[in-house]
Amino acid sequence: MGLRSFIHSLTAPPFRHRNVIDEEVKMVLVVNTNLKMGKGKIAAQVGHAAVSSTLKCGKEAPDLLEYWLASGQKKICVKGIDADNLLALEKLASSEGILSTKIHDAGHTQIPSGSLTVLALGPDKESLLSKITDDLKLL
Amino acid sequence: MSSSHNETTMVLIARKDLKLSAGKLAVQCAHAATSCTLVAIKSKKRLLERWKNSGARKICLQVEDLPSLQILAGQAQSANLITHIVKDAGHTEIPAGTITVLGIGPGPRRSIDALVQDLKPY
Repeated sequence: MGLRSFIHSLTAPPFRHRNVIDEEVKMVLVVNTNLKMGKGKIAAQVGHAAVSSTLKCGKEAPDLLEYWLASGQKKICVKGIDADNLLALEKLASSEGILSTKIHDAGHTQIPSGSLTVLALGPDKESLLSKITDDLKLL
Repeated sequence: MSSSHNETTMVLIARKDLKLSAGKLAVQCAHAATSCTLVAIKSKKRLLERWKNSGARKICLQVEDLPSLQILAGQAQSANLITHIVKDAGHTEIPAGTITVLGIGPGPRRSIDALVQDLKPY
């Protein structure tokens, strides 16, 4: 452990009390399908979301991250209707204590700058995530 | 493609011949991006910071088939770039163990562009 992360571990508030993780841990990536992005564009945006939420989870819930990485870093990609839909899901997630990350596009290609493209939820326990994402279809 | 000497980038190179669905492609690219980032945390921390602070540039490119992907992986490794090859777990769409995506970077944009300049965006 580096000095900074050691100090962080002493001073940071606990994210959430966790005992044993005994179920599947997943990351769910919700794509804003209203933007009609191309496949490659979606892939890059989902890549952004996955990287950001991985780094975030490393800071806020390292044990969860370790478990997720060790169990094959399961990810699923689902369809969100539009930006409002993604924002509503983000609210639900935060009420459940699930980490979320929003990706806004830099607007170099295809869509207007600043568009909300992807919402990443987790990594977190399947049972928590399914409350929020059960109704969403796979992309 | 012109770029200043300290720009950084990551490229995600996917096999066109597998004809993956949008969601599947996205997840495979996300695996590559995450794994490359985790390698960078351990081995190239300053480069990773620079890449993140400049917007974590990522692009998704295509190759025709597996041999082209493997050649690029070899070239990237010889150029001392971070690489990660994603093998699918085979839960859906394609057989387990299929190589789907090659992630290169984060790394200097000039070195990466030199390798991938002939590839088309996916």
